[in-house]
Amino acid sequence: MNKAFILLPALIAAALPGFGALGGSVESVATDQVTLHAKRAVTQNREYTVHQISSGDGTLIREYVTPAGTVFGVSWSGPTIPDLSQLLGTYHAEFQNAMRAKPGRRKSGVVHNADLVVESGGHMRAFYGRAYVTSMLPAGVTPETVK
Amino acid sequence: MRRASLAATAAALLIGLAGCGGSSPVATTPTPVENTQQLVVDLGPNLNGQSVGFDNSLYTNVNICLPATTTCQTIDHVLVDTGSTGLRILSSQLSLTLPHVADASNNQIGNCIQYADTSYQWGPVAKVDVHLAGELASSIPMQIVGPSNFPAAPAACSAGGVAAQSVSSLGANGILGIGLFRQDCGAACASSSPPAVYFTCPSSGCTPTTVALTAQLQNPVWMFPQDNNGFAITLPQVGSGGATTVTGSITFGIGTQTNNALNGAQAQAASPKGNFTTTFNGVAYPNSFIASGLGAYYFLDSATTGLPNCAPGDAAGYYCPPSPVNLTAITSGPNPSSSGTTVSQNVAFSVWNALTLIDSRNPAFSNIGGPNPGIFAWGLPFFYNRTVFIGIEGQTTPAGTGPYWAY
Repeated sequence: MNKAFILLPALIAAALPGFGALGGSVESVATDQVTLHAKRAVTQNREYTVHQISSGDGTLIREYVTPAGTVFGVSWSGPTIPDLSQLLGTYHAEFQNAMRAKPGRRKSGVVHNADLVVESGGHMRAFYGRAYVTSMLPAGVTPETVK
Repeated sequence: MRRASLAATAAALLIGLAGCGGSSPVATTPTPVENTQQLVVDLGPNLNGQSVGFDNSLYTNVNICLPATTTCQTIDHVLVDTGSTGLRILSSQLSLTLPHVADASNNQIGNCIQYADTSYQWGPVAKVDVHLAGELASSIPMQIVGPSNFPAAPAACSAGGVAAQSVSSLGANGILGIGLFRQDCGAACASSSPPAVYFTCPSSGCTPTTVALTAQLQNPVWMFPQDNNGFAITLPQVGSGGATTVTGSITFGIGTQTNNALNGAQAQAASPKGNFTTTFNGVAYPNSFIASGLGAYYFLDSATTGLPNCAPGDAAGYYCPPSPVNLTAITSGPNPSSSGTTVSQNVAFSVWNALTLIDSRNPAFSNIGGPNPGIFAWGLPFFYNRTVFIGIEGQTTPAGTGPYWAY
């Protein structure tokens, strides 16, 4: 990992248009930060940038951004599940449809579609998960990067 | 069940009185409280003549009353979930009008629970007396799920997920959360930066709020006056093709009566977040856990286990090996009674073709599994052919202080 590490103060501002992160532009990351009342740290790597958003309740969100500014992956951990309609953006509907297609109650929160992967796990007090769009992974970046 | 135990007590009193022959009172040893209640895995609650339960749902009856009254109601097919904490009853199934809880500004308090599949329950906190076997948890906070006269779930609760607030979407009339912890949220929700679990709901909308431990949803078991340090769930063996009905029991207390001794069960402590380690093929997965509310073994992924995923359709989200596959993992956690030592146990389990199992129309399976990358979530199949003890956090037991699992 290259180590350009920048800490930005928490933004307190009127919410920007509420479009989601995955598959969206890097500007949507700022939207997430505002909505989550959180602090942001940016780590620059050769093939991608990681925006890490942490809030006071222990929620940690990472958004993985291509050099062209597209969010190709997101991950989360914390005491509750963050708003996935916001984090998954335009991919949220595909995730919801895939979950509806699975039978039962309290099933696994895992969706592996042709291009979209979402893995939601854990329980009360300790949730975690990640999502990425396979076709958006920058050259040389594997799915294991998103964690 | 409660009625039966009361009748037995009354009979014993009558016999005792007859024996005394009207002479002066004699000191007697208190009769132990009835501490065992029946559990069942079946086709689930009835809705318009149809059974609407989901596979591997462990149910019990819960008798609830207006606090300190005999105005009561028995709710059947309440899901027994050791992976969450707190009693949650669907508003549609409540005939009692329970007193809602308000904060210092007289705003109602809303409670939220989310699950990994992104389903959730939302609703006001109310006070209730909870009777389980002969035990009583007096005037404890519970959640009324999804009443129409309450604000809609805030986005921080629904989080882009799906409400499981009807009998058909939950496959149960409520959830009896009797896990490792005393409260659903604990210290985090009593802090100044609370997670999105409790909300204060003025007319302007519901926002996350700080709630003291005593005002949070309580694990009913630790609220009992006795038999309150934990409990044991015992279920019989289920054959490889499944079962139409499974009947077992929950026994309250650990080492408090003659019927709840550990009998050699090995205790493995859970982390403060409710996890322990499962090791498979030499790799340790520290965020693993046991939860009776999960319907299957959810563990790792197809590449790591060699188990093929099922095709889309009835068995989507499960493993579908062509023949039964026997596996072994090792669960481990700190010894709750001896600092610095670790307790490990081998767990043998089997996974068969989920489509074949589901097509049998049986509701109970000991050998159904599905993917859950990076962890083992030991669901209800783990409980078959076992007695599983759960020691509650901060409570003293013969195996040490909870939270722990023992088996």
